[in-house]
Amino acid sequence: MANGMLAGRVAVVTGAGRGIGRGVAMALAAAGAKVVVNDFGVNVDGTAPSSGPAFDVVKEIERAGGQAVASPESVADWEGARRIIGTALDRYGQLDVLVTCAGILRDRMVFNMSEEEWDAVIAVHLKGTFNCLRHACTHMRDRRYGRIITFSSGSGLFGNPGQANYGAAKSAIGGLTKVAARDLGKYGITVNAIAPVAGTRMTVNEEVRRARELRKQQGIQREDRGVAQIEELDPDDIAPMVVYLASEYAKDVNGQFFLCFGNSVALVSQPRPVKTLYKAEGNWTLDELDRLVPTTVAEGLVNPAPAKG
Amino acid sequence: MAKRLAGRSAIVTGAGRGIGRAIAELLAGEGAGVVVNDLGSAVDGTGTSTGVADEVVAAIRERGGNAVANHDSVADFAAAERLIATAAKEFGAVDVLVNNAGILRDRMIFNMSEEEWDAVIAVHLKGTFNCTRHASRIMREQRRGSIISISSTSGVYGNSGQANYGAAKDGIAGLTRVAARDLGRYGITVNAVCPGAMTRMAATVPQTARERRTERGLSTGLGERTFPLQNFGPENVAPFVVYLATDAARDINGQTFLVMAGLVALLGYPAPVRTIQRDRRWTPEEIATIFPHTFGMDLVNPAPAKEPT
Repeated sequence: MANGMLAGRVAVVTGAGRGIGRGVAMALAAAGAKVVVNDFGVNVDGTAPSSGPAFDVVKEIERAGGQAVASPESVADWEGARRIIGTALDRYGQLDVLVTCAGILRDRMVFNMSEEEWDAVIAVHLKGTFNCLRHACTHMRDRRYGRIITFSSGSGLFGNPGQANYGAAKSAIGGLTKVAARDLGKYGITVNAIAPVAGTRMTVNEEVRRARELRKQQGIQREDRGVAQIEELDPDDIAPMVVYLASEYAKDVNGQFFLCFGNSVALVSQPRPVKTLYKAEGNWTLDELDRLVPTTVAEGLVNPAPAKG
Repeated sequence: MAKRLAGRSAIVTGAGRGIGRAIAELLAGEGAGVVVNDLGSAVDGTGTSTGVADEVVAAIRERGGNAVANHDSVADFAAAERLIATAAKEFGAVDVLVNNAGILRDRMIFNMSEEEWDAVIAVHLKGTFNCTRHASRIMREQRRGSIISISSTSGVYGNSGQANYGAAKDGIAGLTRVAARDLGRYGITVNAVCPGAMTRMAATVPQTARERRTERGLSTGLGERTFPLQNFGPENVAPFVVYLATDAARDINGQTFLVMAGLVALLGYPAPVRTIQRDRRWTPEEIATIFPHTFGMDLVNPAPAKEPT
C-alpha cells in the first residue's frame, strides 16, 4: 500500500459510515491514505446519532490493512467540524484531502415544507460543507497543498420535485465549490464537485419508491437524464474518480463538476448563455420584450411542469 | 395599451434601493399594487431604517401608483409570512413575488467567519425560501402566480472572495429549478435572473476586480460574440423581470436568465458534455491515464498554483 496513489497522504471523509462516503473512505485507504472516517451515524432524516457506523468502517479499513480513525461528530456544527479536521492533524500530523459526503434528506413539496425541514437539510449539506472546507483550507493553505472534493447532486443541477431544501443545498455547494476553487487555487489547492447517482439508503427505500409511484400517477417526471435504474447503481462506483481527484495527477483540475454513475464519469458544463437578446442604447421596454422574447431567448423552452386544468 | 398588471398584486423584497426599487416602480407602472419590502439595512446587513421602503412607496404613489411599505426581515420565517399576508390583505391576492433582498460580507474563504457565512445565507437563501414557501401556498390556491428570484453570476461563475454569496446565489438557482417543478402544474412559474447593474452593492466591489470579471464572464460565456455593455443602470434590469411577471411569460418556467446593460441571455442548464464509459469499474490509475486526453481535455484551472513570493 505504500506504493499507492495516495501513499503518505491524510484524508478526511465526511458521511463515511455508509453508502458513497464509505466507498470513498475504503478506496482512499486502499490507495495508501490514512483516513479520518467521519460519520454522525444518523438516520437518513438526520435523527438518532450513533458512533457505530464510523467505527465499523474504521474496522473494515484496518482489516484490509489500511489506517483509519473514527470521528463521530456533526459537520453541521462549526466546532464539530473543527474537531473533525483537528483529528487528522492530531492523529496524522497533516491533512491533504477533504471529501464532503455527509448529507440528509427531508423531501417535501415546497408549499408544504416546514422551516425545520428546510433548516435541517441546509445545515448538514451546505453549512457542513462550508464548515469542513473552512477549517481544512487554512491548514492546506499553510502547506500549499490540498485536494477538496465536494458532493453536489443532479437534484441541484437539474431540479427534482419535492427537494427544494436538498436541491438548493446541493446547487449552493456547487457555487461554494466554484468560489473556493478561485480563492484557493493559487495556494496549490484544488476544489472540485461530484454529482453522483447511486443506489444507497438515501435513494433506495420504501418512501422513495412510494414517492416515485405517486409522481408517476400524477404525471410528474423526474429528469433522470438517461440514468439506469438507480437501484442497480453501486455506490462504490463513485470512489475511483474521487481518488483520482485526490491524487497529485489531478493538480490542474480545479473548479470542475463531474457526474458519476455506474461505470460512467462525465464532465458537467457550467451554465452559459445559450440564446441572447441585445439592445445597445436605452432601457428595454415591455413592448419590445413582448415582441422579441418569444422568438429569441424563450424560443423552444419547455415548461418542466405545465399547468393542469 | 392596457396596463399589463392591472389589478394584480406584487411583492418585491429589498425594494428600497437599486434593482429592487426599479422593479417595484415598473411593476407599479404596469398597474400592480406593490408591497415594497425593505429592512433598510446597510450593504452588510447591519442597521435598519423604515424610511427606505417608505420613500419608494411615496414615489410610486406620487405617480398615481398603488403601493404599501413593509419593513420585515425576509430572513425570519414568521416575518416573511407577515410580508406575504400584507399583499393578500392590501391587494386581495399574491400574483407576483420578486425575491431580491440581499446583503454582502465578502471575505476570502480561509478568513471567512461563521457569522459572515450565516448572515449572507440567511438573507439571500433562507429569505428566498421563506417568501417562496409562504407565497406558493396562496398562489397554489389561486392557481396563478409568478415568482422571480434574483441569483447572480457570482454563483454561476464563482467570484473570488464570495463563498457565502456565491453559494447563496447558486442555492437560489437550485431552489428555483425545484420550485418550478413543484409549482408549475398549479399555473405558477418560477424563474431566476442574474443581474448586472451599478448599485451601492456593486460599488463595494473593487473596479479592477469588476473589470476582470466582466471580461472573463462575457468572453467565456458568450464565445466569439462580445457586446459593448453600456447603460448599466438597475432600470435596465427591471423590464425583463417585469416581463417574466406578465401573462406573456406564462410558459417560461424553471429558467435562469442573465440580464445586464441591454443584454438578456438564457443560461443553459448544466449538462454532461464529455463522458467515459465501459462495462466494468474504472480504477483511479486508469482515470489518471486517460483523463487529460478524454473528458478532462483542455480544462482551464481558474486559479493556477503560484510559488510563494
